[in-house]
Amino acid sequence: MIERRLETAPLLPPAAAFTAGIAAGAWLPFPAPGLLAAAAAALLIAALASHRHPRAALVLVLAGVALLGALRVAGPRLPADHLARRALDGTLSIEGRLGEEPVRWTADRTRLLLDVAAVHVGPERRPAVGRVQLTIYGELALPLGETQRVLVDARLHRPVGFRNPGGFDYAAHLRREGTLLVGHARADRITALTPDAPPWPVAVKRWAVGVIAARLPPTSAPLLAGLLLGERSALPREIDESFRRAGVYHILAVSGFNVALLAGAVFGGLAMCGVPRRGAAGAAAGALVGFALVVGGQPSVLRATVMGLLLLAAVLLDRESQLPNALALAGLALLLWRPGDLWEAGFQLSFAATAGIVYLGPNITAWLIAHRAPAWLAAAVAVSLGAQAAVTPLMLTHFNQLSLIGVVANLLVVPLAAVATTLGMLALLVELASGVLATLLFHTLWLVLIALRAVVAVAAALPAAMVHLPAPSAATVVAWYGALLLAPGMTASRRIRAVVGALAVLVAGLSIWPWLRPTETMLRVTFLDVGQGDAALIELPEGPRLLVDGGPGGARRFDVGERVLAPFLWNRPLARLDAVALTHWDTDHSGGLAAVLTRFHVGEFWESGHPPGGAPETAAALVRSRAPRRVLAAGQRLWLGRALITVLGPGPGPPQAPNDQSLVLRLDWRGVSLLLAGDLGARGEALLLERAGPVRALALKVAHHGSRFSSTAPFLERARPRLAVISVGARNPFRHPSAEALARLEAAGARVYRTDRDGAVILETDGRVLRVTAWARGVTETWALDPEETSEKTSENSTAPGLTGGGGGRAGSGRRSRSRRRARSGRAAAPALRDRDACRGRAPSRPGWS
Amino acid sequence: MRYTAAQLRVLSLLALTVLVGLGVREWRAGFPDAADRLEGFDREESPQPLLPEPHAPPPAPVPAAHPGSPPAAGPPATAPPPAPGPVLPVELLDVNRADATQLARLPGVGPGLAQRIVEERERRGRFDSPEALRYVLGMGPKKLAAIRRFITVSD
Repeated sequence: MIERRLETAPLLPPAAAFTAGIAAGAWLPFPAPGLLAAAAAALLIAALASHRHPRAALVLVLAGVALLGALRVAGPRLPADHLARRALDGTLSIEGRLGEEPVRWTADRTRLLLDVAAVHVGPERRPAVGRVQLTIYGELALPLGETQRVLVDARLHRPVGFRNPGGFDYAAHLRREGTLLVGHARADRITALTPDAPPWPVAVKRWAVGVIAARLPPTSAPLLAGLLLGERSALPREIDESFRRAGVYHILAVSGFNVALLAGAVFGGLAMCGVPRRGAAGAAAGALVGFALVVGGQPSVLRATVMGLLLLAAVLLDRESQLPNALALAGLALLLWRPGDLWEAGFQLSFAATAGIVYLGPNITAWLIAHRAPAWLAAAVAVSLGAQAAVTPLMLTHFNQLSLIGVVANLLVVPLAAVATTLGMLALLVELASGVLATLLFHTLWLVLIALRAVVAVAAALPAAMVHLPAPSAATVVAWYGALLLAPGMTASRRIRAVVGALAVLVAGLSIWPWLRPTETMLRVTFLDVGQGDAALIELPEGPRLLVDGGPGGARRFDVGERVLAPFLWNRPLARLDAVALTHWDTDHSGGLAAVLTRFHVGEFWESGHPPGGAPETAAALVRSRAPRRVLAAGQRLWLGRALITVLGPGPGPPQAPNDQSLVLRLDWRGVSLLLAGDLGARGEALLLERAGPVRALALKVAHHGSRFSSTAPFLERARPRLAVISVGARNPFRHPSAEALARLEAAGARVYRTDRDGAVILETDGRVLRVTAWARGVTETWALDPEETSEKTSENSTAPGLTGGGGGRAGSGRRSRSRRRARSGRAAAPALRDRDACRGRAPSRPGWS
Repeated sequence: MRYTAAQLRVLSLLALTVLVGLGVREWRAGFPDAADRLEGFDREESPQPLLPEPHAPPPAPVPAAHPGSPPAAGPPATAPPPAPGPVLPVELLDVNRADATQLARLPGVGPGLAQRIVEERERRGRFDSPEALRYVLGMGPKKLAAIRRFITVSD
């Protein structure tokens, strides 16, 4: 069966070989000349041997094509005048052309893509190349448009995403698009060198978006713009979310759906008016090319356009069209042009969905009709089901999303969207001739859009419309696609049926495994890289999880909760947090919790009792989540699993500044102690010391991102942390962490980890050994927590190094020797780790926590 | 000239669409409120700034559930658990609401700096956090630290 399919799609093997070559080339950096020679040799031998050994020649040809794929991604060296080769400190005056229309996030935040032409140094203009993504702060005084030449004073740096386990690699994503540098500038430092005169496709798109916005009310307009043009930046967040939940988000991206409707409308309309078949097909092809230029070059558009053109060409040439072959050609063409797209979610989803429909669709239809389903329903279900089956692993990998209602919702949504899209294109066409008539069409269209939104809202409101699951392992993905590949043969052969069944069981088992995995024996604390802000997840081996703070977020900025925290927690996998603690309400701590409170079950919410401020979304989400709230104050103690949580702040007394009212928590588990200092300032630290709580700790979450008004010498003298973790964003405007605070930490003998350099910082310990991982650097250091040495000196209560080195990463050794030296000299050093072992002895009787 | 059946069908569909459009236009003109409600039926209201609620659950008493001696290095036994309800509102100046005169009363803030704070606030819409005041020219870390205990940031 598969062989027969291959016969009708001769381009499929080379496309697959090329893709494999790209994938291999990205993993293994082959030298380009060697690749070229190998590919040439393979193809030459194949040509010579093609007569005698056709099979061997075929294999060689495919190997040659794969080598060409690897060659395509074998990185060309950066040209000498590339901007990325320059030293990037300070402000650079760069001149370039806008590579895309400006993207407006908010009124005072705009994104520009600049293709650099030159750097101005004083009066001198030095030619340069490179592509830079700029964030512009402030209101743009002048209108900017694609292809315009501008001069910007910008600060540039290399892109840094949020470097957490399983997180999205933003820098790699930008690199694939050719952007090696990002930067920011103020709106008043942009000078336009040429007027805003966009090329015609951009002008057409602007006109269309403008007409839609003028003719439709504010929520429906961006929906239609998304349906017709894929322009969904103005779509309200909750509508966007509804479409995702309902599993119908694909209709908001321009894809084969739009292309088919456009080509069908043009072809059918002209044919109906008596235009000959070939003429109509030619006109439809022209319309497709124009449409692709207007909506831009996303992979789904290009794929659909290439396939649409091939189908129309088949009409023109009176040939039978072969969808698999068209798909293979589209893939080959796209990857030749932009090989990096292979790793992009949009490319993968578009091709997987189409392949699923083409490969599985006919079999599902046949099966349904055999089971007495009406033909129209069978076809619709087959499309929906085929696409869903093929994209499920990809959706889980990229977005942790699985829409359970999708297959059903699509049955209603797709026809409505088709009506809306056709009517929208017609209304835009009529708008050229008569505004009055177009208005009437837009009124009808509004009704259709309302119906569409109603269906989506109902589907999204169903419980479990969408579930969030951890990203599947590679083995799961392979087993899943293997089962899909064999599925059409199931009706014919019993053996295939058995294999597919086994694969299905394997997929199910591998998917359930992360949830059943035997509990670990280590306490794990992950200080997440959330940019400028705090977020730490504490996972106890007994099960309970505590999240302390949620990083920055909110409607007006990049929502760390939605984009960083939630995926991290889903991949854990984890659906419930036993407690969420908020140290104080500044947005860099509370903003991201809105998404956490909305998406996860939160057992309890701990707070300092300071009134909410700064993050209205989080406060609203907290009320909606109905999580029980608990106000903590100094002196309280709680059990979390077998860990004792001691509240050190805020204390009683007159109100202080919000930072000094931070919740300060201390965690003790098997003699390992961790102090989470929130944003405590000098005043708060002094008050905390006055209260004489147990301050000394093995590890310290440094207060206020390493501000110089925190981490005072007296405080550190008492805390004496061995490890200090600073949760801070690179290049933050507050210049955290300050040199003073770093020096004081150094003087106190703490080894400092920083999320701006180390990415996520992960502490893992079983009470005897402590492992510290700096995620971005890929370095893990192992330390032995030496109980003997500690217990000897516990009585003195002032000595005992908690740490003696146990080998590990490259940075560990120097520190280790120093730690030993301190131990010998007997002066100073770490907290008496074991003197709280009493806690451990009492703990077992309390499995839960009060 | 005669139309084919297909052409007739398309034409009548178009005419029907225009007629429906006419009807919708009349209805929207007649009942603008209902139309607005329909248009926004799936929108969330923008989050209201919440008043600090009285925190209903009183702080759980210190889990004295583990009898016996308190841990050696436990928190001070002297401090009775305070009764932290909502923190008493003191006279904090809201930098998102205050005018230049009020701002100028803050320690270290003169009329010029107060004016720049107002301008920056208008440019940004609001200050997300007290730290955001650092974007104002002349608001250094020391000055900010000096006024921090007197200010608050609302929406």
